[in-house]
Amino acid sequence: MDGSSGRLWARAVLGAGLVLALAYPIPLQLSGYTYFQTVGFLVLLNAMLGVGWNVIGGWAGQFDFGPQVFFAIGAYIAAILFVHLGWSPWLGMLAGVLAAALICALVTYPLTRLRGHYFAIATVAIWMIAQPIGATWEFINGSRGLFIPIQTGQGVLGAVASLQFVGRTKALGYYYVALGLLALTLFLARLVERGKLGFYFRAIRDDQEGAEGVGIDSRLYKVVARSITAAVFAAGGVLYGFWALAVFPEQALDLNWSTLPIMATVVGGIGRLWGPVLGAMILIPISQVMSTTLGTGPLAGRGIDLIVYGVIIVLIAALRPTGILSLPWGRWARRLVRTS
Amino acid sequence: MPPLLELHAVTKRFGGLVANRDVSLVIGAAEIVGLIGPNGAGKTTLFNCVTGYMRADAGRVVFAGVDITRARPEHICGLGAARTWQLVRTFGRMTVLENVVCGALKRHSRVAAARARAIRLLEFTGLASKENVLAASLTLADKKRLEIARALATEPRLLLLDEAMSGLTPTETAAAVDLVRRIHAELGVALCVVEHVMEVVMPLSQRVVVLDYGEKIAEGPPGEVVRNPQVIKAYLGEHDRGPG
Repeated sequence: MDGSSGRLWARAVLGAGLVLALAYPIPLQLSGYTYFQTVGFLVLLNAMLGVGWNVIGGWAGQFDFGPQVFFAIGAYIAAILFVHLGWSPWLGMLAGVLAAALICALVTYPLTRLRGHYFAIATVAIWMIAQPIGATWEFINGSRGLFIPIQTGQGVLGAVASLQFVGRTKALGYYYVALGLLALTLFLARLVERGKLGFYFRAIRDDQEGAEGVGIDSRLYKVVARSITAAVFAAGGVLYGFWALAVFPEQALDLNWSTLPIMATVVGGIGRLWGPVLGAMILIPISQVMSTTLGTGPLAGRGIDLIVYGVIIVLIAALRPTGILSLPWGRWARRLVRTS
Repeated sequence: MPPLLELHAVTKRFGGLVANRDVSLVIGAAEIVGLIGPNGAGKTTLFNCVTGYMRADAGRVVFAGVDITRARPEHICGLGAARTWQLVRTFGRMTVLENVVCGALKRHSRVAAARARAIRLLEFTGLASKENVLAASLTLADKKRLEIARALATEPRLLLLDEAMSGLTPTETAAAVDLVRRIHAELGVALCVVEHVMEVVMPLSQRVVVLDYGEKIAEGPPGEVVRNPQVIKAYLGEHDRGPG
């Protein structure tokens, strides 16, 4: 009865969101206040990572606290290929994504013998192993990391091709690239969700023995789910590395690359395609805006943003553990139409 | 034609406890076999050994000519043996239809084809009106029915039902018995039905196997088995004549 009107509402919200997302950086560009373009870039990047994390965490139901390992693998591979061999960052991204998915499959297969908390702890352990490797491996310059030389004086197409935006249009360029990658990630995630994989992942999440009983190889599909997550994180890592013009262990393996996307997913709606996007739009600006507005005040640098995050997470966990998107938006929209 | 399922002296131990000792039995294609026994007789353990959830310590399990003693559950399902659980294992956060689609995807890799197959099975099992309900919010009887539909979606040749009727009201039990009969008659699927309630299994089964303390103590047509003194003893206990 309300299916078609619900879809109509969803399309209207989506269309408006797309227009807003496309138009958002333009007034900022004209007024020269590009800092908020960078905030937008970080929202989009974390949203993309959240959509990726949703595959293993939301659909397959396996808590993965170590996807930042694959963020780093992607960032490093593209940076090395660019610095040493002059490969285009986009080719580097492809290589990084494939390598991350493959490495993820190899390290995750043994982990799938573990379940629940033990699986989660094992993903953290992999991350802890990755840190000293990143800090001491001379091939990737150890803790000094890699610097990506700036290429200036390119046209728009050249900048897109080399994934290097400089000067006044830097934030603008990276914003739109992140928007494009997020759109691609959402499109692919939707295919996964609606296809055989989406059914199999959710079956494993809901009841692993039950899933095996209808012929689902739970270990194989957990590996597939985590490799998809790893691929998205690798692509995000490449983008971030070129934005930062550097890749080093403390940055690429930062715990925030998993906690922020996971928090965004949980706040927005775990297991829902658009949940991480909504969550990132709420959470990411908080820390950015706070660190600038509290700037030199008495509360500066006291981690107030973390306290706010904590409060939001506690509120969501207590009031709506399934996330903001799971609220009855359709019913509210209909009520709004009826009363007006 | 070789039998569908053969168990050769299957033994399963948990530490010092022997849950199944040298159990041998055969289920032919298009048979309904009842597997009965008092609580703790080892029925579910035997099921787990057949369907790959546990590995027999000794003995062999052969399905359709393939040795599945050490096979994984998903592989056994692929060969054509599907099961349900005593404590239901539906996919709670998925809808009734999605649950059955998960089963149908075993034989149809495209979701559209699996969905069409699943809808037909929901009609067959009488769940069509509930296709968009979340499995977690179904009644126990409907959850058990959904598990059967989901198992049938994998297109099994043998369906193993682990207490599909326990915990149901008399009306629901009658409906479930009717469903089992229709699965046998209309889909031509062989069934192995585990129950500890004799009244349910006896009229349904062509042949009954009785387990007690992990051992097979009787086998035969239902009418014969109920008169077997060992079976009566297992169910009612030995009559205590007292000293002298």
